[in-house]
Amino acid sequence: MSYTHKPTVIETIAEKLHLIADLHAEGSGPVTKSAAVDGTQVNCPPPDQWDNWVEYDSKSWPERKSKAYMLIPTACFNCEAGCGLLAYVDKESMTMRKLVGNPYHPASRGRNCAKGPATLNQIEDTDRVLYPMKRSGKRGGGKWDRVSWDSVLDDIAGRMRKAIQEGRNNEISYHVGRPGHEGFMEWVLRAWNVDGHNSHTNVCSSGARFGYAIWEGLDRPSPDYTNAKFMLLVSAHLESGHYFNPHAQRIVEARMKGAKLAVLDPRLSNTASMSDYWMPSFPGSEPAILLAMAKVILDEGLYNRDYLENWVNWKEYLQQDYAGTPVTFENFIELLKKEYSSYTPEFAEKESGVKAPMIVEVARKIGEAGTQFATHVWRSASSGNLGGWAVSRTLHFLNVLTGSVGTPGGTSPSAWNKFHPDVHAKPKPQTFWNTLQLPDEYPLAHFEMSFLLPHFLKEGRGKLDVYFTRVFNPVWTYPDGFSWIEALEDESKIGLHAALTPTWSETAYFADYVLPMGHSAERHDIISYETHAGKWIAFRQPVLRVAHAKMGRPVEYTWQANVGEVWEEDEFWIELTWRIDPDGSLGIKQYCMSPYRPGEKITIEEYYRYIFERVPGLPETAAKEGISALEYMQKYGAFEVESNVYKVNERTLSEADLQGSTVQPETGLITKNGKSVGVQVNGGNRIGFPTPSRKQELYSRTMVDWKWPEYRLPVYIKSHVHQEIMNRSKGEFALVPTFRLPVLIHSRSGNAKWLAEIAHRNPVWINASDAKSLGFEDGDLIRVNTDIGFFINRAWVTEGIRPGVVACSHHIGRWRREQDPAANRWSTNRVEIKREGGGKWKMRVDEGIEAYESSDPDSSRIFWSDGGVHQNITFPVHPDPISGMHCWHQKVRIEKAHEGDRYGDVFVDTDRSHQIYKEWLAMTRPAPGPDALRRPLWMNRPFRPDEKTYYLK
Amino acid sequence: MNYGFVIDARKCIGCHACTVACKSENQVPLGVNRTWVKYVEKGTFPDSRRYFTVLRCNHCAEPPCVDICPVEALHRRDDGIVDFDSRRCIGCKACSQACPYGALYMDPETHTSAKCNYCAHRKEVGLKPACVAICPQQAIVAGDLDDPTSAIALLVAKEQTMVRKPEKGTSPKLYYINGDGASLDPLEVSEVNGYLWSEQSRGVGHFAGKHVVKPGKKMLPSSGIDGKPKARKVYDIPSKGVVWGWEVPAYVGSKAVASGLFLLMFVLQTLLMHPLSDSLQWAIWATSLLFLALTGGFLVKDLDRPERFSSVMLRPQFSSWLVKGGLTIAGFGAFLALWGVAKYLQLPLLETISLWCGSLFALLTATYTAFLFGSAKGRDFWQSPMLLLHMFLNSLLAGGSAMLVLGVLTASDPDLFETLRPALAGGFILHILVMLSELYGKHPSKYAERAAEVILHGSLKKQFWYGSFIAGNVLPLLLCIALPSPLMLAVAAIFGLCGVFYTEKVWIHAPQTVPLS
Repeated sequence: MSYTHKPTVIETIAEKLHLIADLHAEGSGPVTKSAAVDGTQVNCPPPDQWDNWVEYDSKSWPERKSKAYMLIPTACFNCEAGCGLLAYVDKESMTMRKLVGNPYHPASRGRNCAKGPATLNQIEDTDRVLYPMKRSGKRGGGKWDRVSWDSVLDDIAGRMRKAIQEGRNNEISYHVGRPGHEGFMEWVLRAWNVDGHNSHTNVCSSGARFGYAIWEGLDRPSPDYTNAKFMLLVSAHLESGHYFNPHAQRIVEARMKGAKLAVLDPRLSNTASMSDYWMPSFPGSEPAILLAMAKVILDEGLYNRDYLENWVNWKEYLQQDYAGTPVTFENFIELLKKEYSSYTPEFAEKESGVKAPMIVEVARKIGEAGTQFATHVWRSASSGNLGGWAVSRTLHFLNVLTGSVGTPGGTSPSAWNKFHPDVHAKPKPQTFWNTLQLPDEYPLAHFEMSFLLPHFLKEGRGKLDVYFTRVFNPVWTYPDGFSWIEALEDESKIGLHAALTPTWSETAYFADYVLPMGHSAERHDIISYETHAGKWIAFRQPVLRVAHAKMGRPVEYTWQANVGEVWEEDEFWIELTWRIDPDGSLGIKQYCMSPYRPGEKITIEEYYRYIFERVPGLPETAAKEGISALEYMQKYGAFEVESNVYKVNERTLSEADLQGSTVQPETGLITKNGKSVGVQVNGGNRIGFPTPSRKQELYSRTMVDWKWPEYRLPVYIKSHVHQEIMNRSKGEFALVPTFRLPVLIHSRSGNAKWLAEIAHRNPVWINASDAKSLGFEDGDLIRVNTDIGFFINRAWVTEGIRPGVVACSHHIGRWRREQDPAANRWSTNRVEIKREGGGKWKMRVDEGIEAYESSDPDSSRIFWSDGGVHQNITFPVHPDPISGMHCWHQKVRIEKAHEGDRYGDVFVDTDRSHQIYKEWLAMTRPAPGPDALRRPLWMNRPFRPDEKTYYLK
Repeated sequence: MNYGFVIDARKCIGCHACTVACKSENQVPLGVNRTWVKYVEKGTFPDSRRYFTVLRCNHCAEPPCVDICPVEALHRRDDGIVDFDSRRCIGCKACSQACPYGALYMDPETHTSAKCNYCAHRKEVGLKPACVAICPQQAIVAGDLDDPTSAIALLVAKEQTMVRKPEKGTSPKLYYINGDGASLDPLEVSEVNGYLWSEQSRGVGHFAGKHVVKPGKKMLPSSGIDGKPKARKVYDIPSKGVVWGWEVPAYVGSKAVASGLFLLMFVLQTLLMHPLSDSLQWAIWATSLLFLALTGGFLVKDLDRPERFSSVMLRPQFSSWLVKGGLTIAGFGAFLALWGVAKYLQLPLLETISLWCGSLFALLTATYTAFLFGSAKGRDFWQSPMLLLHMFLNSLLAGGSAMLVLGVLTASDPDLFETLRPALAGGFILHILVMLSELYGKHPSKYAERAAEVILHGSLKKQFWYGSFIAGNVLPLLLCIALPSPLMLAVAAIFGLCGVFYTEKVWIHAPQTVPLS
């Protein structure tokens, strides 16, 4: 029933006489097949046609110009979720035409958010870094020369070899923004014997992680929304966060089945807007609400007695806090009620502004939902506030009370739904502990105190000889960016800075090497995340490399297939590691050997082949199609390892596990070789949770031991932006600077025109009543004063935020200086940065977003000029003394812009920011803990070093 | 087969995945969209809420864009998809005026009209539209409405649905479940000077790159049409602007001169037995011919693909009033030329025949535009039944004014002025009455009312009151009455001609400022 136009006689004659073009000629190109039978339509072509799929060109349609493509699966790299993508590679031009969803990905199920297809923009970005670049002139001076990968590898490897030979292993650091390649860096860093992993975690999720870890030893939630009856989010998972698209799909799925949704957020997020209960709480007051709900559940007997009795360490609580009281469950409940008696809904209302009846109603709904109660917090309140870790701790308390931990419709610990690959080489844990990452002041931090690095360097705690930043942009994303610039510009503190990045960034401007690394469709990676009650892996592939191989023209290195000489980290690290130890004398080279070809360097295919051959069930599934495990992953891009994963804590220990173990009669704890391996519950030998008690720890002995006895139970901690310290008549507000937009990535969407087109400015949200009392109108220029400076932005007057709170979105306000390469011009303002004596820094926007001429005609069609305002750089560091989280929210004073203030102006005094760092540092209670430990042994630490390093001498 | 869409607002999370997937699939340039998500906020804290609405072509069963397209670039396929062929499009933009939903845009690359076509090229190989495939929530459902077992048909049968502007009689086939009234009705929300996270006021599409003044503070009412706060638009795509600029009123004006002159000559000579001097007749003929040529020139100038102008005649879609109009103008031109030839060769019979026929075509030329504008269903203000009279009067006023000037230039008999003077005065009076009744009379819809508002009190008030009303009608009327010297009459005539242009400019501009989506 396709369109075939029947011309009039006039048109036919006119075409015959060549008066007008002949539009009725036959189409051109290869023959098409249908993806579906009997005239229906499907979402995706069938995989048996992926090697040669023919589609019509949309632009020429209805003229039938067909083109042949190869469809190659990979995984998105834009947020952490790693959703499945399917790249269309044009067989003629060998370029990517588009990226669509991969239906075989168990989490994203063929569907994506806006950021998935926009990957194409990033690949085709006219401003991208195509070749390795080396600085010439002074650092940050903006002068760059193209160099070869060979020279980069030799230079850096030589420097690292020297450092390692001289025992300066702690001067090598790998600082990662967007993580990924599961298992890879453990292998590489341990091969180097370097405790060099630094992450972005404590500007992101340390708060939530600590709150979960202190309960159950596992530090992330994995809600099973699909089967939930009630969902409580302290997040905005219908628009952002981990793992937005997979989670949003399942949240809405549950809602369509009748589940209710409650959202705690001071701001009307899209998620809050879709909720049944929007609870716009004052920032930081969330634990008060959650504990009031706990009180309702306790008082009204809505708790799950079985779960509490069996899986909570309530006996320890009674024994420690109420010695002498008979250890009975009834006594426990009574004492618990007493403990939480002050958290009345009215108290919660006073703290949060959320009406008490709504709190009670939601609490009862939670009680009704019982084990089908799903919750989530990841960043949001737990990342914004001093003591924000109490948010996840009190949220999880509700899961514990209702027994909805690890149940269908409940919330599991992340690790149950995340796959860990088995890598070919297992170097021993490193014998170093790097205090530039985990200093003694923060023994419980989750994890590296990465945002304090400039202050540590300033204090002379150490120096870095080789500093890798990978997809990491602290100058822009982190608080106190000017202190980062100061540190990065100081060659005596940072010897060599290599930025591994797919795009220019504010941090890359201050590197010695800018090393272009691929986007999702340009590199290898293995991904697994806790998106639902299953366990899956996905395979990121450099699709052009795969396409070249399929066409019989394989390449040796990925950069040979990618645009320019864009490479990938995996191969870079293998080559670098090989060159650090060319003769094997450092004992590093041995870990780079092929498991299949003795004595030879491992290839990237072999690395993944080894892993995939060891994924339970994968080789068998692949064999059914007559292909190898690697081929299966190359073909489908994803594999579901397990589904319906629930109640892993109840798994029975095997005979082998029990061999040589002992059981403590009082606690039921099963120990082996001095380490707890399980717990006896109701006579069964269960794995339990990786905590000291192997149970959910309502009572935390660890908090007592590590000098925080006041926090041994889940309690409410008043935030540093608590309303009682705000003088509203002076224009003082709590600023929520963390919220994200559905179409943007932290600081990596500046090169995606289709995303920048939708979102490119970040005005300050202020409630209409506040605006009125301060005399602001929508669009007015305002000065937002932080503790270390100010920024000038515009007011967005709205009914979508709690009075007393202002908010400004993340992502926007990107910049480049005159001397920097013209980069990310869809989203960067051109600014002038001046240092005016001491630590006083000024930034002014010289030019907003402007259309420009390039090979992409769209660059001349940029229709917006507002590139937003950089706010994070005006924030001091706020390290939470326990979790180590940077507490993002700011107490700000808002006033009308001063005379001479211009939109986008920023002022900061880094001397002041260093002082504030010291004030917050003074709040810590440093190691050692018991047994002279740096950190509790039972607590997780990424890239866990040798146990000996845990002890302070 | 009858393809359509369901947008399920119960599920839509406003993530813009559809927008971007469409851009990628169809390689849609920046600034224009085939599908997009509008955000609207309602209510006061803490009862405020945000609504997300996916907007795009409705694949109407009775698509007005297809009816108006002169070259069959837009067409309704047998399977219900409204598709377009950019190879045929001449860039006349009539479809943008005909579509009541603002679904069409001018592609800045091809300079042809485009919109959602249900990814017809994908359907051809058994694939669903790109927006359907990507939607995380499966909130966009596409399929065959005629197949009672299809998911879409079941949804439409089971759930309560709504469509946009059903009163337009277009029978949209995009159904909204839980659709938000204020989001589907562009007049329910206030205009703003910026959005939640975007600033999009520079003008794009047909007007890409042209400077457009940002709306000032005054343009920021937080109120709906009745003055009460209703809803606030917090995200939308850039405005598509006014796509018919000065060329269209210029064409209507020049056409009025050409047709009016000839028509009046016929009336004076044949009906009123008022002989005109030879020199005046030749002057009328030459001027009419010149303005008819200008008419064609303006028409071609307005096209975004002017080199394809011949397609109107060579790829005609006969029910389009653009084609009918083209034929009318061509017919008028032919008889006009013939009349000149007959007169020159002194063939009285042929002269009479061509005078009569030419006059008939002149009449049609003067008035067909009312039907053309009437078929622009997106612009309610043009749907007025008075438009026919308006066009006719405009033509007579233009023709009469032009004849006065020509009369002075050819030093015509004073009788002519005495005949034309009261006629013109009467014409101005009638024209003023028609205009006022169109502006102050009862409007068929709030869209028409908004257009009248724009003329009377809004951005066009100066052009209308000073340019059209006072200078273009009242002043020449007063001059006609008070100062009957031929010279002053000629001055009045020149004002009158300007008046015709200004009136058309205002009339054509105003409805285009009323948002369609």
